[in-house]
Amino acid sequence: MFAKLKKKIAEETAVAQRPGGATRIPRSVSKESVASMGADSGDDFASDGSSSREDLSSQLLRRNEQIRKLEVRLSDYAEQVRNLQKIKEKLEIALEKHQDSSMRKFQEQNETFQANRAKMAEGLALALARKDQEWSEKMDQLEKEKRFLTAQLQEMKNQSLNLFQRRDEMDELEGFQQQELSKVKHMLLKKEESLGKMEQELEARTRELSHTREELMTSSQMSSDLSQKLEELQRHCSALEEQRDHVTASKTGAENKVSALEQKEQELQTFIQQLSMDLQKATAETQEKEKLITHLQEKVSSLEKKLEQNLSGEEHVQELLKEKTVAEQNLEATRQQLMAARSSQAKAIDILETRVKELELSLQASEEKLKHSDDVMAAQEAQIQELAAARESSAAPLQAAALERQCPERMRTLEAQLAALERARAAAQTAAEQEVRELEQENAALKESKNECERSLQHHQLELKKLKEEWSQREIVSVAMAQALDEVRKQREEFQQQAANLTAVIDEKEQTLQEKTEVILQKEQEIFQLKKGHDSALSQMHQLQSELESLQSLRAEESEAAARDDVLRLPSPGQGLTLSVPEPHVTSRATQDPMYQLPAAERIPNGEVGVMDLGQLQKEKQDLEQQLLEKNKTIKQMQQRMLELKKTLQKELKIRPDNELFEVRDKPGPEMPNMAPSVTNNTDLTDAREINFEYLKHVVLKFMSCRESEAFHLIKAVSVLLNFSEEEENMLKETLEYKMSWFGSKPAPKGSIRPSISNPRIPWS
Amino acid sequence: MGGFFSSIFSSLFGTREMRILILGLDGAGKTTILYRLQVGEVVTTIPTIGFNVETVTYKNLKFQVWDLGGQTSIRPYWRCYYSNTDAVIYVVDSCDRDRIGISKSELVAMLEEEELRKAILVVFANKQDMEQAMTPSEMANSLGLPVLKDRKWQIFKTSATKGTGLDEAMEWLVETLKSRQ
Repeated sequence: MFAKLKKKIAEETAVAQRPGGATRIPRSVSKESVASMGADSGDDFASDGSSSREDLSSQLLRRNEQIRKLEVRLSDYAEQVRNLQKIKEKLEIALEKHQDSSMRKFQEQNETFQANRAKMAEGLALALARKDQEWSEKMDQLEKEKRFLTAQLQEMKNQSLNLFQRRDEMDELEGFQQQELSKVKHMLLKKEESLGKMEQELEARTRELSHTREELMTSSQMSSDLSQKLEELQRHCSALEEQRDHVTASKTGAENKVSALEQKEQELQTFIQQLSMDLQKATAETQEKEKLITHLQEKVSSLEKKLEQNLSGEEHVQELLKEKTVAEQNLEATRQQLMAARSSQAKAIDILETRVKELELSLQASEEKLKHSDDVMAAQEAQIQELAAARESSAAPLQAAALERQCPERMRTLEAQLAALERARAAAQTAAEQEVRELEQENAALKESKNECERSLQHHQLELKKLKEEWSQREIVSVAMAQALDEVRKQREEFQQQAANLTAVIDEKEQTLQEKTEVILQKEQEIFQLKKGHDSALSQMHQLQSELESLQSLRAEESEAAARDDVLRLPSPGQGLTLSVPEPHVTSRATQDPMYQLPAAERIPNGEVGVMDLGQLQKEKQDLEQQLLEKNKTIKQMQQRMLELKKTLQKELKIRPDNELFEVRDKPGPEMPNMAPSVTNNTDLTDAREINFEYLKHVVLKFMSCRESEAFHLIKAVSVLLNFSEEEENMLKETLEYKMSWFGSKPAPKGSIRPSISNPRIPWS
Repeated sequence: MGGFFSSIFSSLFGTREMRILILGLDGAGKTTILYRLQVGEVVTTIPTIGFNVETVTYKNLKFQVWDLGGQTSIRPYWRCYYSNTDAVIYVVDSCDRDRIGISKSELVAMLEEEELRKAILVVFANKQDMEQAMTPSEMANSLGLPVLKDRKWQIFKTSATKGTGLDEAMEWLVETLKSRQ
């Protein structure tokens, strides 16, 4: 304490006396001595603890030397003290003198100061009032600005709210649109699926159609074949029918023939009956003739008797008689023959009656012959009758003889005629028989042919039936085919209709699609308009931002002005201090600055002003400074608040990754220190962290993956991003250099890492 | 150190890879330009979170081209890549009049870096195919390029999608780099 006081006094005196070079030496000496003493003592203690006994003597010797030195020093000090005392006395005297003079001066100065102070007080009061006014004006201005800014802020907030609303609306719209789009897409997909299905069905249908067409083709071919067959069959049938007609015609002809033949037969039968009747008649006539012959024979016998009686034996008569006997014999023979012929005839007639009844012509001829013969017979009978009459009359023997002569002749002719007749009859009979046979044969043949025809007819009918059956079957088949064809046609029509429906559906879908696309286009236009609105809002935002910037710059200028004021203020107290403490007389021209006008104005009175007044002025100044500081603080606070508000605004705006965002963010950028973007706020800090993290990630990834020459340039970025210390950065560089060079030793990692670890261990060694 | 080693490599192999940075605000077309230069095709790009690095050979000169993401949050990391950069291609969207100020401030901040003191600056006034695109002179004025001292710079009007202007720019860059060596 005492030493310090002394020192102070010494300093004061030294300052008071301008060239105080002498006083400096003892001070330094004393300091040195104290330091050395302390060091010595420290050494003593250390040596005591560590030295051995053998060194004690030498140490004692050293001590004695030190004591001697100290004694010499003590004597020096005593001399110095003495000198100091002398100086002190001198100084005291000088002090007294100085005090006297200073008292005088002080009094003078006090008086002048009183006057000056009054002046100064007035001046200061005026200045203060002015200052106050200025400050109040400035305050008002600031408040106004503040209000303006707050109003602007509110506007900004409102605008931002509007923006958010718009953005929300936009998002909603976009969501709706996306939903609609997704719906449309979904519908489209469904439609496409259904279309695909439809197409598949269509393809299947077309396949079926083609299949059915093929079937149709085959069936049509079959039907054509069948129709050809049918035609053939029809032709065959027609041929058969023709044949049948022919056959039926032939049959009818045969039947006609048969009927004609039957008619002929009947006619023949009738003829035969007639003939039999005629025969009966003829027999009856023959019987009558025989009776007549018998009668004639009787007459002849009677006549012979008469002749025998009448005539004399003459030869002619005898001959006649002989001839007569012969004729009689012949007659008998002929009779027998006739009988035989009769029997045979009867037999033949029976046969004829039974078999042949149609020998018309022959019969007619025979009848005609018969009639002729009858006529002849009648003529003969008439001759006979004439003869008989002649005989009866026979008046003349000549006549009788002639008659007798004529009679055998006639008998002969008659007999010949009879024979001829019989022969003709036999021939006729044979011919008739032959004819009958032929007819029978013909009949049989006809019957056979008829039977054959019938059989063939039956066969044909059967064939016809079969053909008809076949025909009906074919018809059924063809009907079925036609039905199938109709069905196929219907199916085809249905398919065509389906296809048409499908195409219609597709058209509708396309139309709906087009409508949807139109709607989408409209929506896009709406979006575009909204975007435009958004852009305009953003541009408004930009304008506001620029306004804000300008305002900020204004404010910054103001704050700068304020700071300048501050700066103006700040050096002045320092100046005052430097002026007041060493010497009030000295005018500090060295520290003078042409910029500062206020202190320059103050400086002139300062030359005469006393310390006390200066203190008061200083206090006032300090008060003013404090006020200024407070105002600065308020300004700073307001600026901080502004920053915070801006940050919140940015944060709210930040969700959109637009370029405008960064424009907004640019504002705090320049204000913030370049290398530490995480200084400001917590919220901003996290944002910055996120981006920084992404950046860090990218840089580290590149650092690890790229070439060494490129990686070398990345060391700084990595070390900045990861807050590496300089040593760590250097280590990284060294390792990279080692990697890049082919030779050279690997840098020891100790050099960089050790110090940080081994630092606390230093006291131990 | 890296420069030392790369110089060793260059002395060993003769041709050193030129290191070029493509910088610019987000959405200016940096990645499209990079791949247009590399493969000569227009690729579809997403916002680059991070960077793309490709080796582009032009006129027997190998370039290691770094396309750094231009989003606001990762712009501060640009300065991590500044060391040993031979040239900077600064891409600006000619239609983005609103952010030309930001682009200018970023450019100015970049050019103030000590590490880029010797780097050549090529400004691409990109998207010239669009309507209402700023002319190169207009853009140079709004970027404050005429004020630049001690800096070799040139502005080119380009269209990455159409591929116009890129060849001229690369030609100039190659000539400038060759003349500087």
